[in-house]
Amino acid sequence: MIEFQNVSKWFGALQVLRDVNATVAKGTTTVLCGPSGSGKSTLIRTVNRLEPIQQGKITLAGLDIYAKDIDVNVLRSGIGFVFQQFNLFPHLSVVENVMLPLLRIRKQSRAQARPVAMQMLERVGLADKAHSLPADISGGQSQRVAIARSLILKPEVLVLDEPTSALDPEMVGEVLKLLRELSADGITMMCVTHEMGFAREVADRIWFLRNGTLTFDAEPTAFFSDDAHHDVRNFLSAVRKNH
Amino acid sequence: MLEIIQEYWLLLLIGEYPHGKLGGLAMTLIISFVSLIVTFPCAVLIALARTGKPGIIQSIANGFVHSVRAIPLLMLIFWAYFAVPMIIGFPIDAAFTLIVAIVIYQTAYLGEIIAAGITGLPKGQREAAAALGLGYIPTMFRIILPQAIFNVIPGIVNQLTTIIKESSLGSIIAVSELSYVMLQVNSNEVTKPLQIFGILAAVYFVLCFALSQATNWLERRISSRRTGQVVVEAVA
Repeated sequence: MIEFQNVSKWFGALQVLRDVNATVAKGTTTVLCGPSGSGKSTLIRTVNRLEPIQQGKITLAGLDIYAKDIDVNVLRSGIGFVFQQFNLFPHLSVVENVMLPLLRIRKQSRAQARPVAMQMLERVGLADKAHSLPADISGGQSQRVAIARSLILKPEVLVLDEPTSALDPEMVGEVLKLLRELSADGITMMCVTHEMGFAREVADRIWFLRNGTLTFDAEPTAFFSDDAHHDVRNFLSAVRKNH
Repeated sequence: MLEIIQEYWLLLLIGEYPHGKLGGLAMTLIISFVSLIVTFPCAVLIALARTGKPGIIQSIANGFVHSVRAIPLLMLIFWAYFAVPMIIGFPIDAAFTLIVAIVIYQTAYLGEIIAAGITGLPKGQREAAAALGLGYIPTMFRIILPQAIFNVIPGIVNQLTTIIKESSLGSIIAVSELSYVMLQVNSNEVTKPLQIFGILAAVYFVLCFALSQATNWLERRISSRRTGQVVVEAVA
């Protein structure tokens, strides 16, 4: 579904991705982890071209996403993207946030878009907050709205950049529960997270990055086993200490 | 003071109209209102150009803002009034000249205020719009500008009141707005400048104060619909 071939990226003189080769199979969930600054967020941001790459190739369903004839807005509308800081539009109500892609990209009327958006809000359990503003709902609810908004155009791929890192601990569960459901529904998911319990339970593959290099790409059982790469073991013991 | 108002109130309100040109307060209001209505979209365009991708459009916008900021408004008015008719070969109406000069001048300043509002928004707003697949125009007009303009309302009010006050410069090129009419009254009455210019100051105060109060009210109305946002009290 998504293939990274020799992907490299630099911020000025600093190389942040080094020759990444990996594949995300359709309908699977891939969890990316690694120490901060390892390039995991940068890597997933290349999937919808929020970050351009300088070398290599990324294909989505066989299409080179950097090909000249690719309309970047069409590409992006086919990939749901969820940010750590939710990035809801504060001047629009919850339902208007979710409706916006239908109105502005699918060119639907409000009458057409509203019931679809309400249905999506029901799915994430927030239909009763439809008319609230982002400032009036909790962090966990905001992230669920952001997920609803990213799913409204029915993308085949959902990319999440640390979706629970900005949340208070008691709100992490509600977001992870929703992500588990989505994963079970068969969406292709790439998720950067430090929630190792979630990774163990939901991921089909876990990628470990360090200094821009994909050092380990394995199934969860291998990732959490004692035979894993020593970088992975060091990382896991550091994460466990904090939890 | 009262006898001045009693004698000249009609002149103050509408100038010599209907026997002569419309003038006085009515003219001041027309000049301010038209300048304001034309300046605002021009300023938004300049702000978009200044904050957009580097290129020829941005360079032109930068050049425009830097040039206008470096010259006094009065000089711009002289240019438009004396020099432009020589270049184009026919005279232009003085009020029109004044409006054009104010629009050019204020577009640069108001544009900078709106540009500050745009660059002050969190980067995530634009990224979220991009990630949804929104193009430049819906991103700017649906997501960025509604927030940016709201956040800089106090600065905008400042500029709007400045426009009203700057319309008084029309008196120099014989636009019969409020200040010009009061100058005429002053030359009739000779001995009462305190009263006459006192009235003039009071009228400008009422206009500008009413405008900033009206905008405060509007700002509170919008922010009550956007609870949780920082409400910046207007200082104008």
